[in-house]
Amino acid sequence: MATVMAATAAERVVLEEEFRWLLHDEVHAVLKQLQDILKEASLRFTLPGSGTEGPAKQENFILGSCGTDQVKGVLTLQGDALSQADVNLKMPRNNQLLHFAFREDKQWKLQQIQDARNHVSQAIYLLTSRDQSYQFKTGAEVLKLMDAVMLQLTRARNRLTTPATLTLPEIAASGLTRMFAPALPSDLLVNVYINLNKLCLTVYQLHALQPNSTKNFRPAGGAVLHSLGAMLDPLTAHSEWGSQRLEVSHVHKVECVIPWLNDALVYFTVSLQLCQQLKDKISVFSSYWSYRPF
Amino acid sequence: MRTSLQAVALWGQKAPPHSITAIMITDDQRTIVTGSQEGQLCLWNLSRELKISAKELLFGHSASVTCLARARDFSKQPYIVSAAENGEMCVWNVTNGQCVEKATLPYRHTAICYYHCSFRMTGEGWLLCCGEYQDVLIIDAKTLAVVHSFRSSQFPDWINCMCIVHSMRIQEDSLLVVSVAGELKVWDLSSSINSIQEKQDVYEKESKFLESLNCQTIRFCTYTERLLLVVFSKCWKVYDYCDFSLLLTEVSRNGQFFAGGEVIAAHRILIWTEDGHSYIYQLLNRWAQMGAAYKTFSGLSKSIYPADGRVLKETIYPHLLCSTSVQENKSHPFVMGYMNERKEPFYKVLFSGEVSGRITLWHIPDVPVSKFDGSPRDIPVTATWTLQDNFDKHDTVSQSIIDYFSGLKDGAGTAVVTSSEYIPSLDKLICGCEDGTIIITQALNAAKARLLEGGSLVKDSPPHKVLKGHHQSVTSLLYPHGLSSKLDQSWMLSGDLESCVILWDIFTEEILHKFFLEAGPVTSLLMSPEKFKLRGEQIICCVCSDHSVALLHLEGKSCLLHARKHLFPVRMIKWHPVENFLIVGCADDSVYIWEIETGTLERHETGERARIILNCCDDSQLVKSVFPIASETLNHKGVEQRSSSPYQLGPLPCPGLQVESSCKVTDAKFCPRPFNVLPVKTKWSNVGFHILLFDLENLVELLLPTPLSDVDSSSSFYGGEVLRRAKSTVEKKTLTLRKSKTACGPLSAEALAKPVTESLAQGDNTIKFSEENDGIKRQKKMKVSKKLQPKPSRKVDASLTIDTAKLFLSCLLPWGVDKALDYLCIKHLNILKLQGPISLGLASNEDNFSLMLPGWDLCNTEMTKDYSGVNLFSRKVLDLSDKYTATLPNQVGIPRGLENNCDSLQESNTIVYLLSRLFLVNKLVNMPLELACRVGSSFRMECVHNKVRSAGNDILNMSSFYSCLRNGKNESQVPEADLSLLKLISCWRDQSVQVTEAIQAVLLAEIQQHMKSLGEIPVNSQPVSMAENGNCEMKQMLPKLEWTEELELQCIRNTLPLQTPVSLVKHDSNSNSANFQDVEDMPDRCVLEESESPGEPRHHSWIAKVCPCKVS
Repeated sequence: MATVMAATAAERVVLEEEFRWLLHDEVHAVLKQLQDILKEASLRFTLPGSGTEGPAKQENFILGSCGTDQVKGVLTLQGDALSQADVNLKMPRNNQLLHFAFREDKQWKLQQIQDARNHVSQAIYLLTSRDQSYQFKTGAEVLKLMDAVMLQLTRARNRLTTPATLTLPEIAASGLTRMFAPALPSDLLVNVYINLNKLCLTVYQLHALQPNSTKNFRPAGGAVLHSLGAMLDPLTAHSEWGSQRLEVSHVHKVECVIPWLNDALVYFTVSLQLCQQLKDKISVFSSYWSYRPF
Repeated sequence: MRTSLQAVALWGQKAPPHSITAIMITDDQRTIVTGSQEGQLCLWNLSRELKISAKELLFGHSASVTCLARARDFSKQPYIVSAAENGEMCVWNVTNGQCVEKATLPYRHTAICYYHCSFRMTGEGWLLCCGEYQDVLIIDAKTLAVVHSFRSSQFPDWINCMCIVHSMRIQEDSLLVVSVAGELKVWDLSSSINSIQEKQDVYEKESKFLESLNCQTIRFCTYTERLLLVVFSKCWKVYDYCDFSLLLTEVSRNGQFFAGGEVIAAHRILIWTEDGHSYIYQLLNRWAQMGAAYKTFSGLSKSIYPADGRVLKETIYPHLLCSTSVQENKSHPFVMGYMNERKEPFYKVLFSGEVSGRITLWHIPDVPVSKFDGSPRDIPVTATWTLQDNFDKHDTVSQSIIDYFSGLKDGAGTAVVTSSEYIPSLDKLICGCEDGTIIITQALNAAKARLLEGGSLVKDSPPHKVLKGHHQSVTSLLYPHGLSSKLDQSWMLSGDLESCVILWDIFTEEILHKFFLEAGPVTSLLMSPEKFKLRGEQIICCVCSDHSVALLHLEGKSCLLHARKHLFPVRMIKWHPVENFLIVGCADDSVYIWEIETGTLERHETGERARIILNCCDDSQLVKSVFPIASETLNHKGVEQRSSSPYQLGPLPCPGLQVESSCKVTDAKFCPRPFNVLPVKTKWSNVGFHILLFDLENLVELLLPTPLSDVDSSSSFYGGEVLRRAKSTVEKKTLTLRKSKTACGPLSAEALAKPVTESLAQGDNTIKFSEENDGIKRQKKMKVSKKLQPKPSRKVDASLTIDTAKLFLSCLLPWGVDKALDYLCIKHLNILKLQGPISLGLASNEDNFSLMLPGWDLCNTEMTKDYSGVNLFSRKVLDLSDKYTATLPNQVGIPRGLENNCDSLQESNTIVYLLSRLFLVNKLVNMPLELACRVGSSFRMECVHNKVRSAGNDILNMSSFYSCLRNGKNESQVPEADLSLLKLISCWRDQSVQVTEAIQAVLLAEIQQHMKSLGEIPVNSQPVSMAENGNCEMKQMLPKLEWTEELELQCIRNTLPLQTPVSLVKHDSNSNSANFQDVEDMPDRCVLEESESPGEPRHHSWIAKVCPCKVS
């Protein structure tokens, strides 16, 4: 037993030396690496005021689906806002072509991109506040910092990977429907969101349920993408439906990959792993001197 | 029932970590409030001499606290609001530490401002919140419901900081905010109240881009009503409020980050940094110094309306007057604030909180001046304090529960407990220590040795075992039998830092097997649910800190599977019994599915798929989820012990189902215990402490029926029961659920299959009670009792119960107030004095409770010096006690069933009487609150209007309930005089007297009364030792037999007066609650009473079993 203790005493000296190296050098190296990655990620979001003066550049995305060409959309993204949108819809019945566009004076903020961007900048802020000159005293300090950074990164990622689940009336009531220049016909609902690295546009066509319909009326709950036949209560926004209940008759979903979102997601995943690895390194040492807050 | 649960914290030598993330001083400058990363709030007492001392720790948030703010006009109601990282919001009463309101919203706030406009607003005002969402949210300060929001028409974005500007000049309140993108926005506040209340959108009045990022603070100078101070992380700027023109920019030097600032006087500002430094600047006017020609512009206050705002531009510059700093070696970030004096004795105080938990105060002089040579003066630190300082200062009361034993073991220092587990069925506390030993001790004895003074008999008696097998700190413990009765009662598992898991026999102290996992520290040990079996056995799941999961088979003494592929910490373990899958959910929201038989990784999913997999597991079978730091949740949900609460945290998909299922099981099978130990561990450290839980109601129940049990326990017990039912009809369902949950240990709470036999420990009455309360479960009852009978019951250790009662009384008694009284208590009640003031816990609702910290007694500023070191909860107690004594009729003393009985019988009688009294008080003080929060405000209004009537009802209930209690003591008549007492107590609750205060006051008064009557009797009996207790109790039962007839008669008499209050209250609650159908209960009870009648012989046999046990 005594020899064991002696061995561990010698071991301890080495370990403490290693731990000091970890705190003073390795941690900063990882933090630097993390900062670089996240700066790269935030560049993708074109943070306003972060060096790039003037309005953010506009990018056009042509949205389509591989199956049909009934809906085509050209969306223009300016930073985190949709500045222009052109939607062409071929009506399934009469092949009539409908065209809608955004009003010139309006922009539609994509909340998901804004939130993700803000979370990333918060993470960067957390990292920059402990620059090279800052000396970490304890491992717990590093763990706490990593936890805070990881929280922001996870939220940033989740914001992009989990679009809001909205009910049909919520979609109808959202400001997006009021953005279009020839106002949207009352039987159309439009929603735009980000899912992972894709910009998605969904168009729902509604028709009134026959009052004597045998179908059980059950209003659809919240969903990212509502399916055919989802029912909803009369929309207060569109009075012409009266008190008739509605049903989704057609669902069109078109999407387009935003390349820089893909990059950003990869950066998030990589930095999350880096954070976790650093945490693991710290906790290895915790085993050796559990008696003090490592 | 939860309200009868009293908690006593046994702190260790180390203070729990408290990494301050938010700090504020209340408006009366008496209390500092801090919020921590661990999720607790701490109340610190600030004396008039600016001395700090920690008072209370408030538990309630399960995530890091993000901000604190005032929640009411502080002079009227001392309420503050706290918000956490996960969207939880709590409103706390700062004076008593109770949570007043709680809500969880899907918003993360980073700043909150309280706004109230008395002449335009009804209600308690608004909380204006900003955070990780667009624009400003308006939340009702009373209900915490979202009222509306202030919207921005231009560049909606997250808001970083805000301030409310009350301008006397224009008679309009405005809200100024700065967004993350650096956009300053202004909303009209007072003139838009109506629009907001009508849910109309209110857009900003003005906005301006400030061209800097990371805004930390925006402050309006109320002295000049002209300047606006905006602090960014890299610079601070002064703007002209009239046209938002920039007057001054000061960029940070040597890489400091600014964290905030305040205008402390006209043209004088205070700026602080993230590393704890602060600077006071005088804003000087260049022109004023240039000559008299510009005298007109010399002071901004004098020239409120200069012709041109630009005149001011470039004319002011800052001059550093003073600075404050902290010593080196400080952890940052600091959170700081500044508090100005409002009235005479108050100070200008700059305060800061650190991640390390340290609070520092600087007293800022009224007129800060620089040194004579013009260099900045350094303002010294006025006070600084940490939680640990409290613990060091009051070290007699801050020892951990087993310090005494570890002290015995080796004289050199005490061992740090790194993990502990309480086994309710054996009343054993297992503590794993940092040096690898495991100490098993009788929990009650350990608590007594720790809390009570002197009594060497206590210290000598507790037998404890020391298990030696680990070479490293023991990190986790598991008692499988507590989870599943099928497993051997002697087995206990422990895991250490070197990932060695040992299977012990706790009775023989043998090592049965050692598993070497080679996977880093064992973070938690779990058991598969009852449903899930492999080779006929439930298996143990062992989560290690290298994110691996090992499955151990105890019978086979083998390791079945070691899943090592996880990249992130394991958050959740689920079992798929049909397909033999182990589903592991990780912190990055990915899911790994392992096939247990073959040990292969079947699937790995991330994102949406992973979520679906975890969700669908939830409803398909019984699942168990785990967190490596489940302790964190224990912290918060601890006292209530919601059965699966340790496992629901944060982003868990849908714990609802899980809770339900386990609740049901526990409900049916668990009974409350009078005494319980709850080990608590905190996040990011191995510091732990224990909480003792006393269930007053259960204690009374256990003690009370004993003397009557052979007579007719059911009817008289029911008498009380009926009343209690009547009183609690409104809360009935929840009551049972919670009641049964309250007192089970963390282990047992999780146990889905605790044997019915175990619960017999409570005696039949308890089972009857809990079952009866819940009418639906009635049928099960018979089954339960059938199952009960064949098995030999674990004896109801009456001496254990009475010991618990004594310890409980010791904890509550205001020792040291009256030395003579202390002596009498020790002598006649045979209870021991406390070593020092105890740290009491107070639960304010399901999720929130507060714990006193060592040294809390010195915080009561109104307490005179004579009472320091005295276990007096507040000064008020003495007054209350006097009032109570005054109302106490002389003839009603402590009932003594027999005039010439032996002392110990009297002693136990007295204890029972005292406890029942306390229970009554507890009930009375608590009830209206519960009623109010359940039935809603309408009822409360009614209550207020018909105060007399409702109070009357309560009193009727109580008096007859009380008479029932009395019955047990052979006093049949309803004491009319007691009505006044009950009135008094119900008065207290209207005066918002705390439960603990009321309880202590009543206890003090009753004891004084009792001792007064005793004082006349010559004291000739020796103190009776604990061991004799049992004997005496048996004697106590014998004479009772003779009273049978008499008592029966009384019971009949009793039933008559009983009916009235019942119907009264029934009517009351029926009219108020739609949820609970009281009508159904009536037949239920009848049936029950019938079904209980065969219970009588059972009691006889039960006593026959108990009695020999006691004698032996």
